[in-house]
Amino acid sequence: MALQGISVVELAGLAPGPFCGMVLADFGARVIRVDRPGSRYDLSGLARGKRSLALDLKQPRGVAVLRRLCAKSDVLLEPFRSGVMERLQLGPEILQRENPRLIYARLSGFGQSGSFSRLAGHDINYLALSGVLSKIGRSDENPYAPLNLLADFAGGGLMCALGIIMALFERTRSGKGQVIDANMVEGTAYLSSFLWKTQKLNLWKAPRGQNMLDGGAPFYTTYRTADGEFMAVGAIEPQFYELLIKGLELKPDELPNQMSMNDWPEMKKKFADVFAKKTKAEWCQIFDGTNACVTPVLTFEEVVSHDHNKERGSFITSEERDVSPRPAPLLSDTPAVPSFKRDPFVGEHTEEILKEFGFSLKEIDQLTSDKIIESHKAHSKFES
Amino acid sequence: MALQGISVVELAGLAPGPFCGMVLADFGARVIRVDRPGSRYDLSCLARGKRSLALDLKQPRGVAVLRRLCAKSDVLLEPFRSGVMERLQLGPEILQRENPRLIYARLSGFGQSGSFSRLAGHDINYLALSGVLSKIGRSDENPYAPLNLLADFAGGGLMCALGIIMALFERTRSGKGQVIDANMVEGTAYLSSFLWKTQKLNLWKAPRGQNMLDGGAPFYTTYRTADGEFMAVGAIEPQFYELLIKGLELKPDELPNQMSMNDWPEMKKKFADVFAKKTKAEWCQIFDGTNACVTPVLTFEEVVSHDHNKERGSFITSEERDVSPRPAPLLSDTPAVPSFKRDPFVGEHTEEILKEFGFSLKEIDQLTSDKIIESHKVKAGL
Repeated sequence: MALQGISVVELAGLAPGPFCGMVLADFGARVIRVDRPGSRYDLSGLARGKRSLALDLKQPRGVAVLRRLCAKSDVLLEPFRSGVMERLQLGPEILQRENPRLIYARLSGFGQSGSFSRLAGHDINYLALSGVLSKIGRSDENPYAPLNLLADFAGGGLMCALGIIMALFERTRSGKGQVIDANMVEGTAYLSSFLWKTQKLNLWKAPRGQNMLDGGAPFYTTYRTADGEFMAVGAIEPQFYELLIKGLELKPDELPNQMSMNDWPEMKKKFADVFAKKTKAEWCQIFDGTNACVTPVLTFEEVVSHDHNKERGSFITSEERDVSPRPAPLLSDTPAVPSFKRDPFVGEHTEEILKEFGFSLKEIDQLTSDKIIESHKAHSKFES
Repeated sequence: MALQGISVVELAGLAPGPFCGMVLADFGARVIRVDRPGSRYDLSCLARGKRSLALDLKQPRGVAVLRRLCAKSDVLLEPFRSGVMERLQLGPEILQRENPRLIYARLSGFGQSGSFSRLAGHDINYLALSGVLSKIGRSDENPYAPLNLLADFAGGGLMCALGIIMALFERTRSGKGQVIDANMVEGTAYLSSFLWKTQKLNLWKAPRGQNMLDGGAPFYTTYRTADGEFMAVGAIEPQFYELLIKGLELKPDELPNQMSMNDWPEMKKKFADVFAKKTKAEWCQIFDGTNACVTPVLTFEEVVSHDHNKERGSFITSEERDVSPRPAPLLSDTPAVPSFKRDPFVGEHTEEILKEFGFSLKEIDQLTSDKIIESHKVKAGL
């Protein structure tokens, strides 16, 4: 696997860090998630392929345990606000002195510096501060955050994974680790570079929601079908637009010019009327296999069995019969090998891991009785 | 720089490929964009730090030129539908036979196989096929695609860059390249893993737009201010919610329980009324520096000069005075060094590049007169 032999210590947190850790695990890294003792379960659900060590970092002896792990690991991934690790005596200067090869990845909302860097926040706040949220949402409505996909996952976890792997690659030449400041404000802004770079084109001149790609165009939006489902239309180029019109059984000469923005609201109503007359399945019959750029808006229930996705095996089922997307992208020789086993219980691998890192049974017993570490062979007692 | 010494041949295309190429260029790779002769400009505008070679791949001799480049390059990035490269005699078997170390990255919408793989599409279609679009949008409205950010860039270009760098890393051990099938349907689906993995929690049980994170909650949404601007509220945890209520000058005991979903529509109206009474600047005065998780929805005009972003230098200005986001993430020792120069003209570096790859002046002249290649020292056609 691509990341074979790479060991990662991930400090447990909410969605972005766990997603980053999961990507690394999917592609072959050995990921240890460090949980707080007493934490009942992993809220993120993104623990595929990881092992869990329950360790109290508020105690100096717990900190010492983590330092031993980091001394022999390749990557540390921490999700805290700026300053937290330093207060725990686990800052990069300390850990990289002991292990100059350590890649110290800091995944936060606002970054390691700046006036907001010690404040609480969530995806929507980082999205707001990046400028991107101001661009998303229908005309005459408030800006709309697309769930927590853009900042938590795209600009956050994924961007951090990119940085980690770049640092791993760079380390093969320099022999040294680095500190990565991966934050969601900047990650999301960087992701949106296209919006900035195309400001001079006509792409975003209208108010939010009235441009071609943000909901204004009749040929780049979604429509409701007769059975209350939806179709997605993305027919930008004239030759594709022509096929769209044909499939809708409209007459091109009776319609205004495709790019006549003043006519877009009227055109949207017209297209909506047409789409409302047939079911999603009927529209698929008409448009599947054509270049009209009209596709069903698949629900989670439908997406797994849709022909295209099924042929490709785009969704995988775990041993627990949970369905999730197969890791992307596909590497021909060293593809991801996502674990099919259930996620680890908090503290399930505490002993196993410490033994691997050279802790003696005596040390482990002492740490346990002093409540520095916890081991749970089964779901903690609060779970049913 | 992290990708120092890595050479990339990027076949010109729309947004996703160019964004991927730009990320590689920002982090130090030498990226050559291969344009079609006669193409006037680069629509994506994501050409920072790249050089342009104008080459006609429809001609066998043009194909031969590209093969020579790929024989000495690390990465090929192609954005076409499945089958196109094969028809040009530029498929992976051919190129990797000549260069087993070549990382052949294929960034498409639907992937290299499957019933949709030869069809046209755009971001919204790939988003639709991934299942993700069905989750986005307000209650009682149609699903809404957040511009072309999720499929083109996150699940597309960025995911492809991740794959390329993983393959580069893996190659330091195996000495071999790989073929990467990076497609936007699967990339976007993978990005959305959290939605799948939390299906069993209470997070998504209500219809679209009525859940906590997709627009249902009064404490996780945007509100309009007195001056027609917007504030973003993300106060999920009780201790942050408390600070939100305090900042809004509402009385907690007069309000329903934070997580009482039945009361959310009413609460949204109440919060909206309060937010509408002050301007964005006034709300920032109240909430900046607190843990209430209330932040201004900054416009592109404001974002550069906002204190936090300004302190961090999050936005950069090119020599042409164009502003754009600084590359992320920050690497302490080998940070990105995005070019500040203007984007290349189509065909601006054709000669320079071919000389680097060992083409003689005679060959270059011949290719030019046979219209296999084009050179433009200034913007074409203007």
